[in-house]
Amino acid sequence: MRHSPRLPSLAAAALVAAGTSCARPASTIPLTERARPASAYNARLGTGAPPVAATLDARRIGRARAEPQNWLTYHGTYDGQRFSALDQIDTANVASLRTAWVFQTGAVGLVASPATYALEGTPLVVDGVMFLSGFDGNVWALDAATGDLLWHYQYAVPLDVPLCCGNVNRGVAVARGKVFYATPNGHLLALDAASGRVVWDRVFLDVRAGESSTGAPLVVGDLVIAGSAGAEYGVRGHLDAFDLETGHTRWRRYTVPKPGEPGSESWPAGSDAWARGGGSTWVTGTYDPELDLLYWGIANPGPLFDGAPRAGADLYTNSIIALRPADGSIAWYFQISPHDQWDYDAVSEPILFDQGGRRLLAQFNKNGYLYILDRTTGRPVRVARFARATWADVDSLTGVPAVRLTPSATGTHICPGPAGAKEWNHATYDPRTGLLYAPVLEMCGTFTSRSREFREGVPYWGGSAVPDSTDRWGEVKAIDPSTGRQVWAWRGTHPMVASLLSTGGGLVFAGEPTGEILALDARTGAVRWRLQTGSGIHGSIMTYAVRGRQYVAVTTGWGGWVKGIAPELSAAPRGGALFVFALP
Amino acid sequence: MRLLRPSVLRQLRPPMVRLVDYLPEIDAQNRAIVGRLFATGGLARASVAADGVMHAAIRIRQDQLVYEPSIIVMPRGGELELAVANEDEAVHVLYLPSNGQRQVLVLLQQRAGTARLRLNAPGLYTIACAVGNHAGRGELGLILVQGDTPADARLDRPRQRRPGS
Repeated sequence: MRHSPRLPSLAAAALVAAGTSCARPASTIPLTERARPASAYNARLGTGAPPVAATLDARRIGRARAEPQNWLTYHGTYDGQRFSALDQIDTANVASLRTAWVFQTGAVGLVASPATYALEGTPLVVDGVMFLSGFDGNVWALDAATGDLLWHYQYAVPLDVPLCCGNVNRGVAVARGKVFYATPNGHLLALDAASGRVVWDRVFLDVRAGESSTGAPLVVGDLVIAGSAGAEYGVRGHLDAFDLETGHTRWRRYTVPKPGEPGSESWPAGSDAWARGGGSTWVTGTYDPELDLLYWGIANPGPLFDGAPRAGADLYTNSIIALRPADGSIAWYFQISPHDQWDYDAVSEPILFDQGGRRLLAQFNKNGYLYILDRTTGRPVRVARFARATWADVDSLTGVPAVRLTPSATGTHICPGPAGAKEWNHATYDPRTGLLYAPVLEMCGTFTSRSREFREGVPYWGGSAVPDSTDRWGEVKAIDPSTGRQVWAWRGTHPMVASLLSTGGGLVFAGEPTGEILALDARTGAVRWRLQTGSGIHGSIMTYAVRGRQYVAVTTGWGGWVKGIAPELSAAPRGGALFVFALP
Repeated sequence: MRLLRPSVLRQLRPPMVRLVDYLPEIDAQNRAIVGRLFATGGLARASVAADGVMHAAIRIRQDQLVYEPSIIVMPRGGELELAVANEDEAVHVLYLPSNGQRQVLVLLQQRAGTARLRLNAPGLYTIACAVGNHAGRGELGLILVQGDTPADARLDRPRQRRPGS
């Protein structure tokens, strides 16, 4: 039956007015009750954590390799290798791994971006205490041997926070008795590592401009360094450093120069395209204490798929930059995909390693190429393709791309697809095998460009990209960085979007989007162990030891930007559990 | 009752008029649908006391399963002292957002109580009843925290156009 309006507009207006401004008399019931924190109703919650972080500082983090029982910083060590020397679990006994404990998270009430929340973090472990962060503002301290909950902090995340891709958080930093956590809406918090209480709270992102945070902060010296997300909203990207004791800003380094600053010539003259030029810094970088250089990958320009408003190379988007931590100045940069039109942001972790007497840096870029640079100068050493890449032919010595395919108004089929050949999930380097290992997405897509006017705080894509629904798969690839050649590849049905871990036990651990955790032989790629965790793995795997027992931990819980990374699993079961394994 | 602002009248586009026109049918328990729309208990601005703490009050009337008001506006981030009166013959348990830990207010029949909420960032937050599916039936409210990003956290760039401008 068709509904006929019964009220004219002004009468309706009067009704609204009555509802909003005619207060009813106050209730006469006396206020006898008092709210209690949710923790009062959680009998599993402990009374706090031992003060393990009190003596942890940047100097000790710099020597993290010497204490493999711990995982002291986001990538395990400053060099981003995600390798642990722990060898109790090895190729011979890994098939005996059993679940030691599981920590379930879950969501209560409405959460921001309810279709995309996922558990993606890398837990830190400091002398038997695990620090884990998750979606919806959660930070937990756990007993790393038992999974017992020591403390819990939950930041109230506004429902309307502008998120690029998912309600996720990838980790915390720990030092000098504090846990550093960046909230989705851009507050950097220092929590007391023993109690979870707030020590300081610093706003560092502009949510009205579309900025947000998903990444783990990094402690270097007496600084805590935090990146930003939001290039999809046309922000002006930046990296920020704070005094870790007080939260005061030490420096901010914009990744897109203003007119007159070095690099500004790569933006169109007479235009303020730079002001919404993107270049966010949403994945945690790496650090070389000897060179005292910080390495950070920079994201895509804005708009993503329409290059017309930003003619030029668009520095420093899609670049790896080396910064001096003292003041945030740029020591060198290497731009990987100048004038990006494919969302091939260069945020992937720069892995630092030495080979043949050279100090090198490796990045598996979204654009399908592996870049090996001299990390003292930023000069390219070797560039090698590791996945299908039709967007350009890239010179293997200089890294200069000869672009072949760009987005168009009618759509252009291009490889890799919009998620790239490697997503944010991290690769690993095993110094014992001398090999790099990467989780790979073999997936192409159709890219369309479309002009649009910029409006602050709303998506600024300038087109779209649709991943292929067929002819796509995933791989874990072992690559020799001295040649760029593939040594072995393990192939899976779906694109691989979980961070890898290599260990002294000769293993590479990987996670599948369908929920299986795998242990591969680091030398051959043969599967040595496999276990289904119940929900897709888009998180990270790490290892640690307590009282001589080695554990392997993986964050599971499918979600994030699944439409881009594995659309065939968009409706696959969700979750949010940390699984921890050990030998019987 | 204050006069409607011209900006309010401009909001009365046909879809808004249709919403208001439908309210008598759909904003009641077990009539057009099983429950009622959430957040239709009106709006109130929190008052600010001399010590800076903001104050607001909510009533839960009998058999309505809705908060009155169901939208509370905090003029800025800070602490909100929220009083809730349960005038209903049902038990209600409010899950309330607050930095650090969610606050839980248990109200038996004909009881009232208070909660201190810490919300220091602009945005939209939800409050909900944890009993049965009271939230789905309509007992779902909103706290809107007004405010802007602090000047030192804003992007260094020329002023940009926002949607609708």
